[in-house]
Amino acid sequence: MAVKDLWVFSEKTSLQAELLAGARTLAEATGGGVAAIVVGDETSAKAALAQGADKVFWLGEKADKLVEDFVPTIAGLVQSHKPCALLIGASKRGKAVAGRLGAALDTTVITDVKKFFVEGDVIQASHLIFGGGAVRVEKSATETMIATFGLGIFEPLAADPSRQGEIIQVPFIEPKTRWTLRERKPKPPSTVNLAAAKKVVCPGRGLQKKEDLDMIFELAGLLEAEVGATRPLCEGLDWLPRERYIGVSGAFIKPDLYLGIGVSGQAQHTVGITESRVVVAINKDEEAPLFAQADYGIVGDLYAIVPELIKALKARK
Amino acid sequence: MNIIVCYKFVPDPEDIIAKPDGSISFEQAEWVISEYDLMAIETAVQLVEAHGGKVMALSVGGSQLSNSKGKKDVLSRGPDELYLVIDDALSESDTHLTAQTLAAAIRKMGEFDLVICGEGSADLYFQQVGLQLGELLGLPTINAVSKVEVADGKLIVDRSLEDEVEVLETVLPAVISVTTDINQPRLPTMKEILKAGKKPITEWKLSDLELAGKAEKRIEVLNVRSPKQVDRKRIKITAKPDEAVQTLIGYLSKEGVL
Ligand SMILES: Cc1cc2nc3c(=O)[nH]c(=O)nc-3n(C[C@H](O)[C@H](O)[C@H](O)COP(=O)(O)OP(=O)(O)OC[C@H]3O[C@@H](n4cnc5c(N)ncnc54)[C@H](O)[C@@H]3O)c2cc1C
Ligand SMILES: Nc1ncnc2c1ncn2[C@@H]1O[C@H](COP(=O)(O)O)[C@@H](O)[C@H]1O
Repeated sequence: MAVKDLWVFSEKTSLQAELLAGARTLAEATGGGVAAIVVGDETSAKAALAQGADKVFWLGEKADKLVEDFVPTIAGLVQSHKPCALLIGASKRGKAVAGRLGAALDTTVITDVKKFFVEGDVIQASHLIFGGGAVRVEKSATETMIATFGLGIFEPLAADPSRQGEIIQVPFIEPKTRWTLRERKPKPPSTVNLAAAKKVVCPGRGLQKKEDLDMIFELAGLLEAEVGATRPLCEGLDWLPRERYIGVSGAFIKPDLYLGIGVSGQAQHTVGITESRVVVAINKDEEAPLFAQADYGIVGDLYAIVPELIKALKARK
Repeated sequence: MNIIVCYKFVPDPEDIIAKPDGSISFEQAEWVISEYDLMAIETAVQLVEAHGGKVMALSVGGSQLSNSKGKKDVLSRGPDELYLVIDDALSESDTHLTAQTLAAAIRKMGEFDLVICGEGSADLYFQQVGLQLGELLGLPTINAVSKVEVADGKLIVDRSLEDEVEVLETVLPAVISVTTDINQPRLPTMKEILKAGKKPITEWKLSDLELAGKAEKRIEVLNVRSPKQVDRKRIKITAKPDEAVQTLIGYLSKEGVL
């Protein structure tokens, strides 16, 4: 490691705070400093200092540009300072920035890192491959490791507005290619926080139609549980919003109770529930893989079991 | 318009075996088209059905790609031509080497208007190759595309982000990565399966291509392990619904989770 500094970039303020906290911990091991790359107004540049950055590379306001248009500017910065790692928030936008940067800098990106640590003087990152079937530990073969991180990998530090640091203004480098923004259509904000839920009821494709979700929500209400789902219910069938699906490309949960209903139990899904305290499966197929990963399972038709369960829970109240 | 669609040929993740020593093996695995690349193929086929032109499917990888069933499978889904780069050096490629190889193959393939990639590969799921490829080709590139339209040499896409949908426009050629819900891929018909055997296939080795740099990886893999398994009680209840439910409730209240 020539330069031991760690850099952070995320267009999402809360993710930026988590990445800065993670970078701080690692900087103690490398003996380097922590810098944030910020697109936004001067207040957001200062906010990054408060969140834990020693230094901010301030790229200025976004104005009519897309965050992706800053790729050549960021690439230029990395090339001239060569930090040992650049941590990027794993939003869709973050992944687009990371991928283009990786190619522009003749390197690549390690995405969705779960663990990040220094061993000897080498930064290593672990992440899941084969849909959660395996954990792979990797290091970058180039000077700067570019890696993306989702929410919840690092604990953010409490913001400290008294923290001081340098804010360096960086001139914009015009990208060779551009997309023109025609329109923005906001999506309704997500109200679910599966990661924090104490109980989760999770329907899968065993459910035959969208209306059957009513009984799932009724059951969840009685249990005071959140409703999660397998991915096909949220993408493809579109019965539930994206934020509700659990698994390698969705949420990782750690409730006291997970109740899978008509869920087969494929690795892509179950990797997200391993930290549940009690796992329950309801499936009509005795051979469903979820049974082997459950504490309790009922072999049976969910359309017979769930109404019974609702009745029994009501009777207990 | 000429469309290139990139797909990966992968060991079916369901066939992965975790060995007792914690290592994993996919020696028993069947190789398949990466699930989410079916949507990329369907996107390309639908665009050509609407605007004319041809679809060229492209994949790079190790010797598994020579599998004739695999070739037939992809061609039966609608592409007109198939291009493969098969080389042992690509069998455990990282996204950098994959993107470099795809870029070199695409430069050799000739004229094109659009390159389409899937959301992410079923084995690595880095969600990176499309973006790196676009940047390497020096073309406009974007991910999370959930709708595409082409008009007057322009490409208009819906891009589905966490909290909003952006409508973006650029000039062709371009490189896009599409979401898994952009369409429902059709199943190959008997007619398409029969036609597939007659479509042209071009095969190259790495030495047939001019890569921009050396054929090197940028990630060093230190180890691969199966994730630690949690010990579960695995109590299976087989009884009439009302009895099964009572038994379950008994267990759950003992666990203190009701
Ligand atoms: C790259 C990649 C990433 C992925 N990421 C995720 C992810 O993050 N999360 C995720 O969930 N998936 C993910 N998937 C998809 C995953 O591979 C599986 O397809 C999905 O988890 C299966 O969902 P399911 O269990 O609901 O459906 P199925 O596998 O179809 O299972 C349905 C189950 O319901 C049972 N059933 C049917 N009818 C009844 C009935 N009447 N009563 C009781 N039981 C019944 C069946 O026996 C069956 O076991 C990913 C896939 C890929 C390729
Ligand atoms: N070996 C490959 N050959 C052709 N296309 C690939 C290959 N690997 C990845 N891709 C394409 O890039 C997308 C993203 O892959 P990944 O970055 O591995 O998640 C896939 O959905 C494919 O469209």
